[in-house]
Amino acid sequence: MRTGDYKQSYGELVTLIDSPPVWLWSTVLVLALVVAPYVLNAYALSFLTIILITVVGALGLNILTGYTGLISLGHVGFLLTGAYGYAVLVSKYQLPPLVGFLGAGLVPAAASLIVGAPSLRLKGLYLAITTLAFSFIINTVILEMRWLTNGARGIAVQRPEIFGVSFESDAAFTHLCLATAILTLFATLNIRRSRVGRAFVAIRDNDTAARVMGINLHAYKLLAFVTSAFITGIAGALYGIYLSFVNVEGFPFLLSIEALAILIVGGLGSALGAVLGTVLIVLLPEATRLVFSLFSAQMDAMFTTGAQELKSMLYGLVIILFLRFQPRGLVGVWHDLKRTWVNWPLRY
Amino acid sequence: MRNHLATVSLLTAALLSGGALAADPGVTDTEILIGDVEPLTGPPALLGVAASIGHKIAIAEANNAGGINGRKIKYVLEDDGYVTARTIQGVKKVIEVDKVFAMLGISGSGQSIAVMPVLEKAGIPTVIDVAPVKLLWEPARKNVFVVGQSYEEGIIHLVNYLADKNPGKTWGLITQDDDYGITVRDGFDSVVKAKKLKVVYSGTYKKGQQDFSSDMLQLKESRADVFLAGGIIAENIAMMKELEKLNVKPVTGIFWPGRIEPVLKLMGPAGDGIYAVDYVEPFAGEAGKAFLEKAKPLVTEAEFKGINRYTMTGYAAAKVLIAAIERCGKTVTWACTISELEKTKNVETGVMAPISFGPGVRFSNQKLQIMQADAATLSFKPVK
Repeated sequence: MRTGDYKQSYGELVTLIDSPPVWLWSTVLVLALVVAPYVLNAYALSFLTIILITVVGALGLNILTGYTGLISLGHVGFLLTGAYGYAVLVSKYQLPPLVGFLGAGLVPAAASLIVGAPSLRLKGLYLAITTLAFSFIINTVILEMRWLTNGARGIAVQRPEIFGVSFESDAAFTHLCLATAILTLFATLNIRRSRVGRAFVAIRDNDTAARVMGINLHAYKLLAFVTSAFITGIAGALYGIYLSFVNVEGFPFLLSIEALAILIVGGLGSALGAVLGTVLIVLLPEATRLVFSLFSAQMDAMFTTGAQELKSMLYGLVIILFLRFQPRGLVGVWHDLKRTWVNWPLRY
Repeated sequence: MRNHLATVSLLTAALLSGGALAADPGVTDTEILIGDVEPLTGPPALLGVAASIGHKIAIAEANNAGGINGRKIKYVLEDDGYVTARTIQGVKKVIEVDKVFAMLGISGSGQSIAVMPVLEKAGIPTVIDVAPVKLLWEPARKNVFVVGQSYEEGIIHLVNYLADKNPGKTWGLITQDDDYGITVRDGFDSVVKAKKLKVVYSGTYKKGQQDFSSDMLQLKESRADVFLAGGIIAENIAMMKELEKLNVKPVTGIFWPGRIEPVLKLMGPAGDGIYAVDYVEPFAGEAGKAFLEKAKPLVTEAEFKGINRYTMTGYAAAKVLIAAIERCGKTVTWACTISELEKTKNVETGVMAPISFGPGVRFSNQKLQIMQADAATLSFKPVK
């Protein structure tokens, strides 16, 4: 029986999954997610799709804010440029969807170089405001570049067909989102355990110390921006396909706040936290509504006709509660549970 | 523990309910469910809430008369907060979980366009009434019908009227930087080209802008005689108040999304005499007064205060849908309802010109009328 979490080599420290039961449960979870689209109704499936798309975006933001400690309030700008990158290439220029996805990553990555440059001199609140300004500027640029983006009219986006496989149905599209989310999760976990990931974390923990250790702050901060924007752009493309119509109105500023809320609630700097935070934040309003509807039809009606106001209140409340009582987020709760399970009946 | 199990069972049942879909859901021996998704919170709630009140009035009217062939109508309303992703989820919820028989609404123009694939795939009979834009009926979709008039036609009608009334005058225009603004500008430009109008001021403002002092100063300096205010509500109020401050009063035209009576109260004397175009009757006219009389006993006091032009568009759409379902008799199906909606011919609603659709025609193409604001009575009156 396993009695602790002992690491005996450097290799064990950087391994992605360190125990067979975790492999087993991860496989079971992936299989369940593969089967889910065939079992769930369209409404429930829409939540799963949104969760998977949001996981990709949250993992992208986690690289910048969670790993590197650079706060971004303008990530919706990267989401938007990613969606337009895909829509313009695929819907307007009829290029293959894979080229569209590549463009969806590269366009925001290029834009991140512009917004990332000031980050070399800015920190904290000042950087947050700079990134916020970027998201407003990018909206105006998209609206003004009508010859390319159709301006405010937006661009209709069809579900893709890749290598002869159609993702037209909701189930197939969810599978595409699932595959992207898994690939992104593996990519970010691998980044975290690599030299680059350790440099990001060193910058987050103490950038002066990191510099003394020989880490090129300029290069790594820009790399964090580019990587984060690339992944967020892919999430933007998936979101645009889900909406079937890309225009600036479909990407409100609230999405940036929602993404930060996900990281705070999940646990900053943890890929697992980003996943858990996404699940909680996306499902919270619906789960609350379902629970309250068990007690009274009036409560149910209140949640359906005032859903968005209540949703904002719930987000605020959850963030406050987590910051006050569980600053390590859901991932902290998860680690505590694991420790309790392993050490019981001992406390430590 | 048993409570937890019950909760989990209910949640699971809700999640898995898609597997047990009947062919045409939402109809029982005693009830017909009609769904709707509108912005009920946030600034666009002004139109979403008003439209939903219109649906409620038509439904209450039908229910008071015994329902549709004995079946009472139940209205299922969902808030999307004007967020497109939530509109899609809301529509999926009312179709898949609440299992409604037909849809009304739906939210704003961008939101309705985004849900078209969902509606088309579901095949559910739908009558759209809030934001009529061409992409909703071109190409025509079998199960989606649109009551109203296109923004382009509306603005062309208004500019033509003002151009004929003010020959040889100079023009000014300001529009919002979104699809609504582009539509207004396109309509305006087409008349400018056709009638060779002289445009001396043309501006664009950012959505959400509140200060129009510099824009209106530029308008004043351009000496425009006729001004097309392309704002919606708060923007038009701010523009008119600014012009009042600058002591200029060009002949002004506004578009129907901003033609709401409380706007006149906020504009004060600055709003007197402004022209508007719409396809629904003004409340100051006989038809408008009759509608308010009809509505009063059917809604709550708070809802009555929330009535505006969108209540009329919602009412008309619901009347058309209810009439189509009624013509199906006892055996109500989607196929029959869609077929009857297609056969809709000159249906009188009392709040706009008679409504018609036809084979392959999914847009009612309502007749437009020009009206003028009267600041003294805080109302819009039809222009003869």
